[in-house]
Amino acid sequence: MRIALVLVAALLAVPVAHASERHPKQSELEGEVMCPVCGTTLDQSNSPAAAQIKRVIARRIVAGDTKSEIKDRLVAEYGEAILAAPRRRGFGLLAWWVPIAGILAAGALVGFGAWRWSRAREREPEGRRLDPALERRLDDELARWE
Amino acid sequence: MARSARLTTQALAVALVMALLALLVWRVARDSDKGVSQALKDGEQPTAPAFNLKRLDGHGRIDLASLRGKKPIVVDFWASWCIPCIHESKRLEAARKRYGDRVAFIGVDTKDFSSEARAWKRKHGITYPSVHDGSGNVLTKWGGLPIPKIFFVDRAGKVVGELIVEEDLPRYLRQIASS
Repeated sequence: MRIALVLVAALLAVPVAHASERHPKQSELEGEVMCPVCGTTLDQSNSPAAAQIKRVIARRIVAGDTKSEIKDRLVAEYGEAILAAPRRRGFGLLAWWVPIAGILAAGALVGFGAWRWSRAREREPEGRRLDPALERRLDDELARWE
Repeated sequence: MARSARLTTQALAVALVMALLALLVWRVARDSDKGVSQALKDGEQPTAPAFNLKRLDGHGRIDLASLRGKKPIVVDFWASWCIPCIHESKRLEAARKRYGDRVAFIGVDTKDFSSEARAWKRKHGITYPSVHDGSGNVLTKWGGLPIPKIFFVDRAGKVVGELIVEEDLPRYLRQIASS
């Protein structure tokens, strides 16, 4: 049931993402592009440099550019650092997948450690079994006290 | 076997920690590389950091290192969104008429949109050549924001000064023109 819900949500999200790519909104792009002189996204800045990029974005939206085309144009001018998040392609993919791979690797490592630890605990009594003669003597001693 | 596996794991863990430490040291050393502005404030005359950037007008590139030993240079960092840059670039344009035969004037349009920068140059009548440093990487090596930032490089390629007050312009121009 849960998986079905996730699938339905994912399917509903696809047309929305597609529309956003073909007809980007100014506010949306301003949240995804950095101001080159203030270290915040455009929507957080009133600096002249940010205002200039906002004007460029507005002109490109009117011209009918897609979101990717606008971002490509900005990257060509300012470099990759102009994007608030790395792109999900090429080298930028590393930024998305390395943390996930790291979390999975750490989980596997912890799981493996826990498995080894539990196995070691299971084996422990065998390794510490008493000498049979000593065990018999201990039983005799205990029997005397009962 | 179990012992060798454990040793290998420990060696890998130590290697990973060493690699991370090396990365940290490299990063700190890189960040502490002071720009030209700071070096000048510390009384040094650093070698002008090289750049090889596309010209704004589209006519090839300018390689700063290729000018070393030939001409003294004025390097002007500007952007079309920078209001004080208008005044300084116009002063440089006027100075170019007097010193242009002995000193090279190069603008570095930084963190800017190149079409806006070209329009800005036309609007304000700035004719000395400019290159485009959109990412601002070159600006960072010279000292970073704020702009305008104007530096004077002698014929040997040493940065002898930065424009701080208006009187610096004629003073440094005379100095580098005679270098």
